[in-house]
Amino acid sequence: MSMPKFLLRRTLQGIFVIWGVVTVLFVLRAVSPGDPATLMLGEGANQELIQQVRAEEGLNDPIFVQYADYITDLVTGDLGYSWRSNREVEAMVIERIPATLELSIAATIVAISIAVPMGVISATRREQLSDYGATLFSLLGISTPNFWLGLMLILVLGVWVGIFPTGRRAVGFGEALMTLVGTGSPGELLTWLEYIALPALTLGTYFTALITRLTRSGMIDELGKPYVKATQAKGLPLVLTRYKHVLRNTMIPIITVLGLQMGTLMGGAVITETVFNWPGLGQRFVDALGIRDWPLMQGIILFVAISFVVINIVVDALYTYLDPQVSVE
Amino acid sequence: MISDRVKSNLQYAFWESFLPKLGMILLVTIVLMAVFAPLIATHDPTRTGHFNEDGAQYPPLGFEYTSEIATGGEIVEITVESTNEHILGTNKIGQDVFSRFVYGARVSLLVGIFGVVLALIIGVPFGLIAGYYGGHIDDGLMRMADIMLAFPSLVLALALIGVFGQQPIRVPDPIVKAGLAEGMPETIPIPGAVIIVVALVTWVWFARVARGEALSLRNAEYVKAARSFGTSNRTILFKHVLPNSLTPIIVLATIQIAVIILTEASLAYLGFSGTTLSWGFEIKQGQSVLRTRPWVAMVPGIGIVLSVISVNLLGDWFRDALDPNIEGGERGG
Repeated sequence: MSMPKFLLRRTLQGIFVIWGVVTVLFVLRAVSPGDPATLMLGEGANQELIQQVRAEEGLNDPIFVQYADYITDLVTGDLGYSWRSNREVEAMVIERIPATLELSIAATIVAISIAVPMGVISATRREQLSDYGATLFSLLGISTPNFWLGLMLILVLGVWVGIFPTGRRAVGFGEALMTLVGTGSPGELLTWLEYIALPALTLGTYFTALITRLTRSGMIDELGKPYVKATQAKGLPLVLTRYKHVLRNTMIPIITVLGLQMGTLMGGAVITETVFNWPGLGQRFVDALGIRDWPLMQGIILFVAISFVVINIVVDALYTYLDPQVSVE
Repeated sequence: MISDRVKSNLQYAFWESFLPKLGMILLVTIVLMAVFAPLIATHDPTRTGHFNEDGAQYPPLGFEYTSEIATGGEIVEITVESTNEHILGTNKIGQDVFSRFVYGARVSLLVGIFGVVLALIIGVPFGLIAGYYGGHIDDGLMRMADIMLAFPSLVLALALIGVFGQQPIRVPDPIVKAGLAEGMPETIPIPGAVIIVVALVTWVWFARVARGEALSLRNAEYVKAARSFGTSNRTILFKHVLPNSLTPIIVLATIQIAVIILTEASLAYLGFSGTTLSWGFEIKQGQSVLRTRPWVAMVPGIGIVLSVISVNLLGDWFRDALDPNIEGGERGG
C-alpha cells in the first residue's frame, strides 16, 4: 500500500474512533444522575428558569434529536459553554494546553535520557551489579503510584534538601523564552526549569522504568542475532555495533509502545498536576469532574482522544522510515 | 487445564530465582494482614481524637517533632513525643495510622481481585467468540478496543465514577461478628462502583488477548477434529479453546491486579473512591501536613508500593516461566 493510501485509511479509522469516543461521552452524560439545567444554574434556582434553560438547551427533545444536535455542534467545531463558568469550552481547553504539553514533553525527555543508557548498560552487562540495580529501579518505578512519588520528592528534595521550589508554577515556557529572546536574560528560563524538574521527574518515572525494561530485553534479543556476529567478524568496533545498529533496531518497537502509552501519560498528568498544583488540562479535568461540568470534561477528553489518534498515525508512518523492512501494510 | 510442562516450568522458575519467592512472601503477608485486619489493628481505624494532652497528633514511635500551640493568647512551641499506644503515630483528625494501614490493605486487594475477576468475566467470552467466529463480531470488538484505547483509562474511570456514584456496599465483618475483635468496625465497606469501573476500563485487554488465542486455535487439528464429530461450537469454545488459551490470560490477570490497585489508589487520592479506609485517601489526608508531619502520607504509600511490587513480581515470574508474548495494558496512576 502506498503512503497516501495508508494515511487516508488511518485517518478514516481515526475519525471512527473519535466518533466512538464522543458517542460514549454522550451516553455517559445522558445516564449520569443530575439535571443539566440545575447543574448549570446551581442548586436552588427557580423552577421557571430551569424550565426555560431546559427548553433553550433542547433538553426536552427526544434523545436522538439531542444526539444529532450534539454531533452537529461538534462537527462544526462548537464545543459549547462550561456549565459553571459560562465561558467557551474551546478557550478553557486551549489556555491549559501549554502547561500540560510542557510537562509531558519534559517527562518524556527525562524518561528517554535516563532509560535508554540504563537499558543499554543493563543489557551489555547482564547479571552484574549495574544490571541488578537497573532491574530493581524499574521494578520500583512501575510499582510506585505517581502521586505518592510526587509528594515524597516534594518532601525530600523540596522541603528537606531544599533545592527545588515547592509552590505553584511561576512562569510558562513561552514567556520565559520570550524574556530570553527579548532581554537576553536566562533568569526566567532557569526559574521555569526549577519548577518543572520535580513534576517532570514524577510523571517521567513510570516511563523511565518501562523504557529501561523494554530497552534491556530488546537489546538482549537483538545482540543474539547473527548480524551482530557478522559485524564483529568484519572488524567493526563493538561500540559502533552496539550503538549504531543494535540500539537502532531496539528503538523501533519502543516508539510504538510509547505511542500507545499516551493514555497513561495523560492519566499520569491528571495526577501529577493535582499533586503539584500545575495549571494544565489534568487539573482542569479534575475540577470539572468535581462539579460535573460535562461540556468542559467532554472538551478535554476530545482533545486528548484526537491527540492520541494523531500521534499513533504519526508513529506508524515513522515506522517505515526507521525500519525499511516494514511496509505500511 | 494447566499442563504438567507448565507446572514444572513454574516450579523451576520459582526455585531458581529469588524474586518470585520475595513476591510470594510479600503477597501472603499482605493478604493475611487484610483478612485478619480486626485482630492485627490496635485501634478502631475510624475512631478519631487520639491526640496528646496538648491536642497534637502523635509521631511514630521513636520520633518527635515540634508543634506550635496557642495557650492564653500566646503561641508557644512544644515538643511532641511518641507513645507506645500509637506505633506509627496518628493522623490529622487523630486516627491511628497503623490501624488504618492494616485496614487499607482490604480495599486495595478487594478492588484488585474483584476488579480483575469481573473484567475476565466480561472480556474473555467476548474475545473468544470474536476470535473464533471472526467476521462482524470480530470487527466490532477490534473497533471497540480502538475506541477504548483512545480514552486514558484513569480519565474514563473518573468519568464513569461520575455516572455510578461512589456509595460503597457494606457487608458485616465476620471476625467482628464472631466476637473475636472487640471495638472494631462492624462492617467492611466494599467500593462496588470502583470495582465495576475498573473492570469496565480493563476488560478490553482481556478480550484482545482471548481473541488472539481463539484466532490461532480455531484451525488447530484438535478443533477441526472436534468439529468433524459434530461437537457444537459452544462446547468447542469452552471445552477446547478456553483451556488452551489460559496461560496468557493468567499472566495478564496478574499484571492487571497491580494496575488496578494503582488505579484505585489514584481514584481515592483524587477523592472519588467512595471509602475513606483506603491507602490513596490517607495519602491525600497526609498531603496537607506533609512538611511537619510526613508520616501520615508516607506510611500508606509504602503499603501501595509493597502490594504492587509483590503482584508485579509474581506476574514477572508467570511470564518468564510461561513466556507468552502479550501486551501489558495501561496503568492507572
